[in-house]
Amino acid sequence: MGPLAVELLGKTLKNPIMNASGTLGYGIEIEPLWNIETLGAYVTKGLSDKPHHGNKTPRVWEERYGMINSIGLQNVGVEHFFSHYFPFFVEKNLPVIVNFFGFTEDEYVYCARKIPSHDLIVALEMNLSCPNIKKGGISFGKDAPAVHNIVRAVRETTPIPVIAKLTPEVKNIVEIARAAYEGGADGLTLINTMPAAIIDTKRRNMPLKGGLSGPILKPIALRAVYECYKEIPIPIIGAGGIMNVEDALAFLMAGARAIQVGTATFVDPFTMPKIIASLDSWLKENACAGISAITGIAHD
Amino acid sequence: MDDIPGKIIDNSATIPGYHRLTVRLEKPIGKVVPGQFVMLKIPDREIFLRRPFSVYDARDTKLTILYRIVGKGTDALSRAQKQAPVMVLGPLGHGFTIPDLGVCIVIAGGIGYAGVRLLLRNLGEKAILFLGIGGVNELPLISDLKGIEVVTATLDGSYGYHGTVVSLFREHFGSYRTKDPTIFACGPKGMIISLKEFLEPHKVPCQVSIEERMACGLGLCFGCVAETKDEINPYKRVCKEGPVFELWDLSL
Ligand SMILES: Cc1cc2nc3c(=O)[nH]c(=O)nc-3n(C[C@H](O)[C@H](O)[C@H](O)COP(=O)(O)OP(=O)(O)OC[C@H]3O[C@@H](n4cnc5c(N)ncnc54)[C@H](O)[C@@H]3O)c2cc1C
Ligand SMILES: Cc1cc2nc3c(=O)[nH]c(=O)nc-3n(C[C@H](O)[C@H](O)[C@H](O)COP(=O)(O)O)c2cc1C
Ligand code: FES
Repeated sequence: MGPLAVELLGKTLKNPIMNASGTLGYGIEIEPLWNIETLGAYVTKGLSDKPHHGNKTPRVWEERYGMINSIGLQNVGVEHFFSHYFPFFVEKNLPVIVNFFGFTEDEYVYCARKIPSHDLIVALEMNLSCPNIKKGGISFGKDAPAVHNIVRAVRETTPIPVIAKLTPEVKNIVEIARAAYEGGADGLTLINTMPAAIIDTKRRNMPLKGGLSGPILKPIALRAVYECYKEIPIPIIGAGGIMNVEDALAFLMAGARAIQVGTATFVDPFTMPKIIASLDSWLKENACAGISAITGIAHD
Repeated sequence: MDDIPGKIIDNSATIPGYHRLTVRLEKPIGKVVPGQFVMLKIPDREIFLRRPFSVYDARDTKLTILYRIVGKGTDALSRAQKQAPVMVLGPLGHGFTIPDLGVCIVIAGGIGYAGVRLLLRNLGEKAILFLGIGGVNELPLISDLKGIEVVTATLDGSYGYHGTVVSLFREHFGSYRTKDPTIFACGPKGMIISLKEFLEPHKVPCQVSIEERMACGLGLCFGCVAETKDEINPYKRVCKEGPVFELWDLSL
């Protein structure tokens, strides 16, 4: 393994760059442009116990320095993913992080139970931004006790490491991160999209509300990574508006062990391979032996 | 498919509100199936995502699109100067399938013409075009179309048939019924829906090119779906499984 390699939850990834969940399809779609095994790991589209059809369109809208999406978690279901898409990653020998969600605690648990242990599966990434339908649709991730309970329920279900992916729409993200840690989370992904809306002034309506992503999120995400790194002793994966190598370095220095790139891939589909190549050059230019050495150095 | 840098060599208005953009690419875009599109990076800092446009013409390193100014992205594009840098990702999506036999009827509404222009060129005199436009002032849009029979409808009655292109087509359909017709259509949603209502009892093969807002154009985000009759997996990606669909597979 080269200087870009990082240790994450007992596995070695060849570099710290992965896609953000839901922004690289089922992994095969990017193949005409570049090989998926360029990444340190592939993060699945959000999977659930049962398939979901998702929302009606419009599902995406451009904002200045970002976009809003309301895909509605369309996915083929966890079983179909493992029978149809997972073999592709096995063939590529590419580590996988399985992002999943539910609308009740049981749905999270049933889904987690269906995810098989495999050498290539690094972790399960729990999307905690989902509305809890038993609590009037407030997302799990906004309530520290709910986060603690649901992480623990999943933790007790599976031998695979569990990462809690948190929403930024909270008063104090460190408190939520601590609840996840105390519930047994092995890692954190910071952050998911921020609730937002569009108003069409010509039609005088609201065509779409959903999650805001892209560079507009970056400073918010960096702050979350920086604060949690100080307080919570588990590895952090940074996400939110990473567009280039400068942004990637900022997240690593703030305390991220690895980073995820989402919306930037829509703007330039080669963003991730470019960041990987630039990180490599950066290490050489800065006479730095390994990328892990810079995790958290902004705190020193 | 690739993401190819290029420079604008022409971006002039064909008629007010409609521009033809020609880009010189650093390398050829390769084989384009009619109906395929590109995701264009607009040279303006305020425009974040790319925009989808049908390939109007592609020869060697020259690529042309025809676009209508409808919002901030196309407005910014219309102000881009010669030599401005762009990125062209493509060719993308699933295009039209040309049958071996029978007559090919192409129906285009407004800017939908841009989506069938390459198809018309490939079909040549095998095709007949039913064109729907607002008025005679929009006729220059098809001035570069040679050797193809065109029947025109205008909404204001200033040229050809007075009415919608689907009503015009309805009057002519009888004379093609026995000729194994395949219909190809591209235009506003309302046009596609009224075409479907008319064709319902006839069940002739009909391929339609449809539009949806896109973020990636590559099948990565599931932002651009259309509802189909597939019960297990109804929402198909317009950028990947489309933009050309069998009309009878869609739930409109
Ligand atoms: C496969 C495909 C091929 C296309 N080919 C052409 C073409 O050859 N020529 C052409 O002029 N246009 C084409 N379009 C439509 C074109 O992409 C939109 O007009 C453009 O993206 C609008 O951008 P904007 O920023 O100017 O508009 P916005 O300010 O974003 O929106 C203005 C209006 O455009 C509509 N709109 C926005 N994005 C899209 C979209 N992706 N598809 C349809 N409507 C949209 C909105 O609903 C709104 O009414 C195509 C669309 C698709 C999906
Ligand atoms: C189209 C789209 C789909 C997404 N789907 C998911 C998902 O299924 N599960 C999830 O946890 N996050 C999802 N996200 C959030 C991203 O994984 C990421 O956390 C967020 O977009 C911030 O990163 P970015 O600014 O680099 O996009 C999605 C984001 C986008 C734009
Ligand atoms: S635009 Fe992203 S899947 Fe079609």
